[in-house]
Amino acid sequence: MNTNLSMNNIVDWTTTSDLVGNVKVDQVGVLDRVSSLATRSIKRESKLDALEKIVSMCDLTTLEGEDTEGKIIQMSSKAISPDPSDDNVPSAAAVCVYPALVSTAKKIVKDSNVKVASVSSYFPSGQAPIESKISDTQFAIDEGADEIDIVINRKAFFEGDYKKVYEEIKALKDVCGEIHLKTILEIGELKTYENIKKASVIALCAGSDFIKTSTGKISNGSSREACLIMARTVREFESYGYGIRGIKVAGGIRDAKDAIRYLVIINEELGGSWLSADYFRFGASSLLDDVLKQIKKLKTNAYQSSYYFPRG
Amino acid sequence: MTEVKKTYKHYVDGKFVRSESGKVYAIDLKKEKYEIPLTSKKDLRDAVTSSKAGFAKWNSLTMYNKSQILYRLSEMIEGNKESYISLLQQHGLTKNDSKNDVEDAVNTIIWYAGIVDKWEQLTGNLNPVAGDYFNISHQEPIGVTFSLSSDDISLNSLVKSFLPAMSVGCSVISFTNQNAVLALKLSEDINNSDFPSGSLNILTGNFENIVEDVGAHVEIRLAAIYSNISNDLLETLDVKGSDSVKRIVNLPSDEGLGSIIPFVETKTVWHPKGQ
Repeated sequence: MNTNLSMNNIVDWTTTSDLVGNVKVDQVGVLDRVSSLATRSIKRESKLDALEKIVSMCDLTTLEGEDTEGKIIQMSSKAISPDPSDDNVPSAAAVCVYPALVSTAKKIVKDSNVKVASVSSYFPSGQAPIESKISDTQFAIDEGADEIDIVINRKAFFEGDYKKVYEEIKALKDVCGEIHLKTILEIGELKTYENIKKASVIALCAGSDFIKTSTGKISNGSSREACLIMARTVREFESYGYGIRGIKVAGGIRDAKDAIRYLVIINEELGGSWLSADYFRFGASSLLDDVLKQIKKLKTNAYQSSYYFPRG
Repeated sequence: MTEVKKTYKHYVDGKFVRSESGKVYAIDLKKEKYEIPLTSKKDLRDAVTSSKAGFAKWNSLTMYNKSQILYRLSEMIEGNKESYISLLQQHGLTKNDSKNDVEDAVNTIIWYAGIVDKWEQLTGNLNPVAGDYFNISHQEPIGVTFSLSSDDISLNSLVKSFLPAMSVGCSVISFTNQNAVLALKLSEDINNSDFPSGSLNILTGNFENIVEDVGAHVEIRLAAIYSNISNDLLETLDVKGSDSVKRIVNLPSDEGLGSIIPFVETKTVWHPKGQ
């Protein structure tokens, strides 16, 4: 156990501040590595394994103002049994909803291994006082959420008040306790690789169990480059003895091909032990149907129609 | 002056593209020899993806707008009439036959442009039922279609292989072998007629190379075969097509209302009638 760790695997601020101060990213190296990993060819059998893994790592998500109980019930049922015509397809990892709909989702998935994740802390902007963020999070937990997805305070981040970003995440981790906390960096707003790395360091040090790329609410969603930087940060974090943390990529990952490329990055940067729903997730709404479509294609040898997989 | 020869390319998703395989086949005309892209399985799949998106765009236009776009195609051909006539002559037709063929093609297009906002009144129905309901047979386009055009050297036969499907709102992957130069030339006028990208795609090559994929691809809802193909090919298409629950129409009518019937699906709607 590292001496800088306190309760909830939180790294103290002095150490965090040192780590943030030393952040450097080799941009050319990142781009090169990502593009070379994208060309890895995946053979047919490995592809089927990869696709089924992706299903088991999916946080099936709907975060719209128009979400209704009916939509959540339908989505939760789909998460339990993504392809009713094929029992070999695993369940999704979780459903991800707004706090007010957690109890609805929980009712449907309670007897399955599908978890309920809730966004909180005034997702997606995070522009609210910490007291409100805490009560938002507490409400989601009281409703039965197994996992909490929060956003970092980008206002504080861009004002240079990294300590505030850290303290807020820490306070929310205190509320969560054993419940998994995923912290969204919103990389589309952070823009530079160094910012992404800094935010990753802060979020991990403050006790996040997962760092997540995006809210999916702005046009610049996830990117493989950001995933690589986050994976390397997670690897360094582990090498310092601060524990194993996970990554969730979300926002704009719509097809199976793209998703497999993310798996390759994780496999190459962090190793096969990260390729499980405990340490890697996809936040997705339309991705799942495309993956199901590709699984069916591999099994039947016929290209499938979105007529039967409506969101793919 | 240097003579510039044209490289004919496939027309997919509103763009002129080579076959991803890089393969070509030769078509010998009287004066020129052309190398035409040979469709690979991947080319077909790309065309299906584009047709899927194209269907949504084409079908969402009002029937008046669809009609205007089809009419514009006839205007484009009219403007380039001489070049079509000379191309047909290069294929071995007489000047008179070539001229008649282009004029027939223009007339065919205008007929289909005219039927766009009328066909449903002729094929749909208000059905008699014993109850206080309206029972309406509403007609819809079937979706993404594949069409193998006839090998007759004729612009008129060529347009007849995609107009019936287009006029009801389907998107079409039009495939041709011997008519390739004419079809790819036509794609330039199609491109100038305001069709939404992907609604009408033109591929060329050997049908044998892709018949299994046409049959098996679930996204293709209908295959219309306007050419005489061997029983073996037809059987392959039928067998593969039955797995994907595809409608397969061999040698459909290419004239009149009967030509568009294969491309529509009927949805029956019950609606209560006030007393």
